[in-house]
Amino acid sequence: MIAFGYLVVSGVHIFLDFPELYWGKVGFRGHEAVFKLSDWGISWDEAGDMGDRRWGRNYHFLFAWISVINGLVYVGWNVWNKHFRRDLLPSRDELSQQNLKADLVDHVRLRTPESKTEGRYSVLQKISYVIVIFVVSPFMILSGLAQMPAFTEISPELIDLFGGRQSARTLHVIGMLWMILCVLIHVFEVFVAGAVNEVRSMITGKYAIVREDPE
Amino acid sequence: MKKIVSRRGFLAGAGAAGSMVLLGCDSTTYLPPVVRGGLMGAADVLTMATHRLLLSGQPLAQEHDVSEITRDFPTWGNTNPRQEDYQSLLQGEFVDWRLPVGGLVNRPMSFSLDDLKRLPPRMQITMHICKQGWSAIGQWTGPPLLEVLRAAGGVTDEARYVVVATYDGWYEAYDMFDVVHPQTMLAYGLNGSDLPLGNGAPVRLRVERYCGYKNLKFLKSIDVVASVAGIRGGTGGINSDNDWHWYAGA
Repeated sequence: MIAFGYLVVSGVHIFLDFPELYWGKVGFRGHEAVFKLSDWGISWDEAGDMGDRRWGRNYHFLFAWISVINGLVYVGWNVWNKHFRRDLLPSRDELSQQNLKADLVDHVRLRTPESKTEGRYSVLQKISYVIVIFVVSPFMILSGLAQMPAFTEISPELIDLFGGRQSARTLHVIGMLWMILCVLIHVFEVFVAGAVNEVRSMITGKYAIVREDPE
Repeated sequence: MKKIVSRRGFLAGAGAAGSMVLLGCDSTTYLPPVVRGGLMGAADVLTMATHRLLLSGQPLAQEHDVSEITRDFPTWGNTNPRQEDYQSLLQGEFVDWRLPVGGLVNRPMSFSLDDLKRLPPRMQITMHICKQGWSAIGQWTGPPLLEVLRAAGGVTDEARYVVVATYDGWYEAYDMFDVVHPQTMLAYGLNGSDLPLGNGAPVRLRVERYCGYKNLKFLKSIDVVASVAGIRGGTGGINSDNDWHWYAGA
């Protein structure tokens, strides 16, 4: 979480130093852009004053490594203890339209879903975690690598896969926005479900379930 | 019994892999000349070592089609060094420009622009990537750095770094891993013309695997050394002297 915060902030610093996004292989000041911060009332000079690119690059690479190592340990550990297969992969039953619909209605009404009372993740929760862990995270790593000049030698195919160096940069930013959205929804849901109990369960793995058992 | 054999087999395999790593390379290939302290230094080493491992076959940088060349190649950073010596060379259209190549070479010498043009040139259409985020495709012409060093009699056994200095006061050191790459060149041409002023006239360095900040412009001298200690900040470059990354491949 701390590493994610640093990655976002340092990434924003790097972006502020060149506050335009392009599509394709080539992009520079004066080239046709898909996003310009100056269209939103912040000029190049103002953005440059806000961003510290030396700090940004240093900390972005440091926390990228911390995140990658942390992520490998997390994935390795949870594959080993079968947490993914047992608790995270949605079962066929859970993926039925009926169950998906029910879970969606629960979420929209901010009602704690039934699965939660049994100490399991709900199906939408499972799907969003799987996407973040196995799709968006690798996507962020690869689109980051595709921006590095060394990868014009190591793997130009990777850069082409993203549609060029500038497309990789733009997609990296979109991926970041997606992850921020996931974090915001996640934190919001934690509060809806009861923050103290949830955070305790994340760290210790124990979740208190109040049973209304008849005497 | 079976278990013991497999464990032995595993240990032998691990040992062999370990010694291959040790024998296969000089450890300095994986490290900047000066490693920063703390976690930042650890991240630097991880990045450089990983990249160098992936680059160990010295692959060529991707070349692009002529149609993809950026016609108005952007100019960035310093576009006209105000230094007096540079200004007078510029006024004389660089006829008097000389590039001294000295230090640990067998035959130190000074190259004029025409001398460089007489060396076997290379032409490559590659992408220039700036650390700030922009990229553009240019066609570069010039002799590989290795050819220039060969013309100066080659480097001696103690040579470890090539220090390149510029008219606007920049300098950077490159280890031999980068120097021997066929696309590392002294470019005097961009997109079929003489290298324009804003792009580093008369000659700039191309190290395709690096960000723009290590593709120095306005070259002034080349010095081959055994160590970067004692040269200005002592870290092997103006960027690392100022707490940027020495390894510029990321």
